[in-house]
Amino acid sequence: MPESNRRASKEQPGSGFLAPCLATGLLFFVAGGAYGFLTGDNFRRQPIEQPIAFNHRLHVEEQGLDCEDCHPGCRSEVKPGIPDADTCLMCHAEAQGDSGEEARLVAMLARGESPAWRPLFRQPPHVFFSHRRHTAVAELDCGECHGDIGSSTTPPRLPDKLRMDDCRDCHLERGVSVSCSACHR
Amino acid sequence: MTRWGMVIDLDRCTACQACVVACRVENNAPPSGPEFAHQGRDISWIRLGSIKHEEAGNRPGLSLAPLPCMHCENPPCVHVCPTHATTIDEEGMVAQVPARCIGCRYCTTACPYTVRQFNWRLGQWPAPLDQGRNPDVSIRPRGVVEKCTFCAHRLQRARDRARYEGRELEPDEYVPACVESCPAEAMFFGDLDDPHSEVARQAASPRAFRLMEELGTRPKVIYLSKGE
Ligand code: HEC
Ligand code: HEC
Ligand code: HEC
Ligand code: HEC
Ligand code: HEC
Repeated sequence: MPESNRRASKEQPGSGFLAPCLATGLLFFVAGGAYGFLTGDNFRRQPIEQPIAFNHRLHVEEQGLDCEDCHPGCRSEVKPGIPDADTCLMCHAEAQGDSGEEARLVAMLARGESPAWRPLFRQPPHVFFSHRRHTAVAELDCGECHGDIGSSTTPPRLPDKLRMDDCRDCHLERGVSVSCSACHR
Repeated sequence: MTRWGMVIDLDRCTACQACVVACRVENNAPPSGPEFAHQGRDISWIRLGSIKHEEAGNRPGLSLAPLPCMHCENPPCVHVCPTHATTIDEEGMVAQVPARCIGCRYCTTACPYTVRQFNWRLGQWPAPLDQGRNPDVSIRPRGVVEKCTFCAHRLQRARDRARYEGRELEPDEYVPACVESCPAEAMFFGDLDDPHSEVARQAASPRAFRLMEELGTRPKVIYLSKGE
């Protein structure tokens, strides 16, 4: 066989492989991207609907309530707590105004039910987070982590949760521990 | 710097296993049953192990000893972990983050004390046992490695309380469940770097030895036993 011919026959299997290889590569690339997108945070996090559209600004700014009146542990405990029916009943045994949302609340309270608030900012159970450590000791504002929820007029439908990176960034900035055992349990 | 460590006095230990039970309850070790235990898959972060005389510096008369994680200063498990799921922190605690673990089990092999355990199934707590779980310790997912943490969740709580009250952590505020439960008062826990601590005093005893010292792992669990 002439020299050139032999080389050509050797090359053939090589070039025949290239196309399927590229196609498989592309397939994995696309599938990987799609998987990342579908399981990613923006896609997975469903909007959260609350049973009553609670208006933080009205209660905090107009009624002059403090965060502590409804979230009693926010500066003194590990967990702030979500208000129960009794807290609302202090003022809403009867309607205070003429909003439809309030009427629904008053009816609900009259039936002896309390609104089943959906959790917004929950961390997974393997993370330890203490409010008083951050609000009372480190003197951080609630807004630093919860955005403008205190002055919002409707509940956030997709709260910006704190990711591990957010915790770490601030800890590094302020010289606080970033060892796994500080936060994980 | 704080360096947490434990002393176990084998001359006082009666091998009653109160520490084993206390640990299981504290750390949500799932109930397992005889079959599972027979397969060696039962989870227990501290267990009674037998120690050979050579390992104990040829101290005679030794047989059983409680074996928690040794929280080595030079931990082989940390060196082999490919995902940094196990790390040693600035206070010498060897931490395990189950969420980060891929279950490769390099660490269970690397650990000369065999105190790391792979978990073969998701824990199940038949009622009413499910009411008794400790909310401060997370339930580990299946297929990861877990181990004794020196009850680090108790340190998180204790330190949080102390900082909130604007004071230093008191020595007796943070003690792991096993030490707390020991009816023979054979276990001590505290800061090895604090010369005034009970644990540092005990660790300086002539009776003190560490398991497999020759490996250079430098365990922070120190045993006491008198020689001949
Ligand atoms: C009158 C009572 C009341 C007051 C005062 C109040 N809140 Fe709330 N807060 C609620 C209720 C009810 C919810 C649950 C419904 C919702 O998410 O909107 C809530 C939810 C929250 C949540 C989300 C909780 C979760 O599940 O993660 C945050 C954060 C929060 N409030 C912060 C604040 C801050 C900051 C202040 C002070 C500026 C404040 N609140 C004052 C009643 C109150
Ligand atoms: C450093 C960040 C940070 C700051 C500052 C902060 N929070 Fe939070 N907050 C969180 C995190 C993280 C969670 C979720 C905690 C969890 O799941 O254990 C949370 C949860 C909550 C919840 C719901 C938890 C429950 O008890 O059910 C409320 C209500 C709340 N925060 C209110 C406040 C208020 C009021 C302030 C200000 C006084 C505040 N937070 C300051 C990070 C913060
Ligand atoms: C200190 C008294 C007080 C407490 C406590 C209180 N509210 Fe109100 N709330 C008011 C007043 C006053 C209004 C204003 C009524 C108006 O002018 O329309 C109001 C209005 C409302 C409205 C109608 C909001 C709107 O946008 O018009 C809702 C819904 C509501 N409250 C829910 C709650 C819930 C839920 C709780 C318990 C977590 C609660 N409130 C606790 C005083 C209170
Ligand atoms: C905006 C800044 C900031 C953010 C965000 C933040 N932290 Fe912190 N954290 C601090 C500061 C400051 C301290 C130290 C408080 C003190 O002086 O004791 C601290 C202390 C802690 C401690 C105690 C550490 C120790 O060494 O004992 C834990 C645990 C902790 N934070 C967890 C978290 C977690 C979990 C998150 C995210 C959900 C988070 N933090 C987000 C500022 C922050
Ligand atoms: C300052 C606090 C903090 C520190 C330090 C920290 N984490 Fe986290 N970690 C978190 C929080 C909060 C979450 C949950 C929110 C999220 O998923 O981002 C988390 C989530 C994780 C997850 C994801 C779990 C899941 O199911 O998706 C892994 C894995 C993890 N951490 C590993 C580690 C390891 C390993 C270290 C040590 C090198 C570490 N973390 C140190 C706060 C922390």
